[in-house]
Amino acid sequence: MAPKNNDLNTQTWLEKYGDYLFSYALLKVKDSHLAEDLVQETFLAAITAANSFSSQSSIRTWLTGILKHKISDHFRRQGREVLIDDLVDQNETNSLDIFFKANGGWINKPDAFPSPEAALQQQEFWKIFQQCLAGLKPKQAEVFLAKEIHGMSNADICNDFTLSSTNVWVIMHRARLSLSNCLKINWKN
Amino acid sequence: MLNCKQASQLASRAMDEKLSFWERAALKVHLFLCRNCTNFTQQLNFLREASRRSRFNRNFQLTAKAKQRIASAMKSKQDGN
Repeated sequence: MAPKNNDLNTQTWLEKYGDYLFSYALLKVKDSHLAEDLVQETFLAAITAANSFSSQSSIRTWLTGILKHKISDHFRRQGREVLIDDLVDQNETNSLDIFFKANGGWINKPDAFPSPEAALQQQEFWKIFQQCLAGLKPKQAEVFLAKEIHGMSNADICNDFTLSSTNVWVIMHRARLSLSNCLKINWKN
Repeated sequence: MLNCKQASQLASRAMDEKLSFWERAALKVHLFLCRNCTNFTQQLNFLREASRRSRFNRNFQLTAKAKQRIASAMKSKQDGN
């Protein structure tokens, strides 16, 4: 399949993928200066490696792959046991058992969200939202960021992540259940 | 009759695309009878709104300064190549 956005014009990379890569890195390293540096390193490495770009993947996927290695290198330098494997889903089980009982009923019943508008005005809420996103499974975090926060269309998500639309529904459903659960536990207004 | 697991799946999918007539009808009936799933549906809308706004939050966007710095680093890298 021909990749989408397959442009090796490095001038456009920063505008097109910079914010996405930055927000992804920030979820992992939780330090914005470090995240900026990792994005820069990623682009520089990508320029060097541009010849080896395989048109099997999209530019965004390729850049994200380089970024993951940079993040993993960073953790290794710190002596932390977070290796590349932790940034990629090993065997993503899509079981919904942590959310639903065998009869399909809720395990943790969703509450009505208390005054949503007020929440969005508070710094504390955004801190918790960020933590909840960071707690998602790798693939869920990537798809949720791309789709909901950076506004990527369903069609582009399918192409870019090589997912069927059914895969995307499943990933989004799980991400939303996790986020909703996480906010319920951590956001006390 | 849908259970909550199925209803939550449909409610999530409805955020991204139009459901079929029967799916919509089944979901509507379930939501009419189920407070929990109605709450979940509200949360879905809330998550959408929070995500939409967070796009312009500093956690999800490079600052202009950082962009400039990265752009010039990329440029000198390319000129060097």
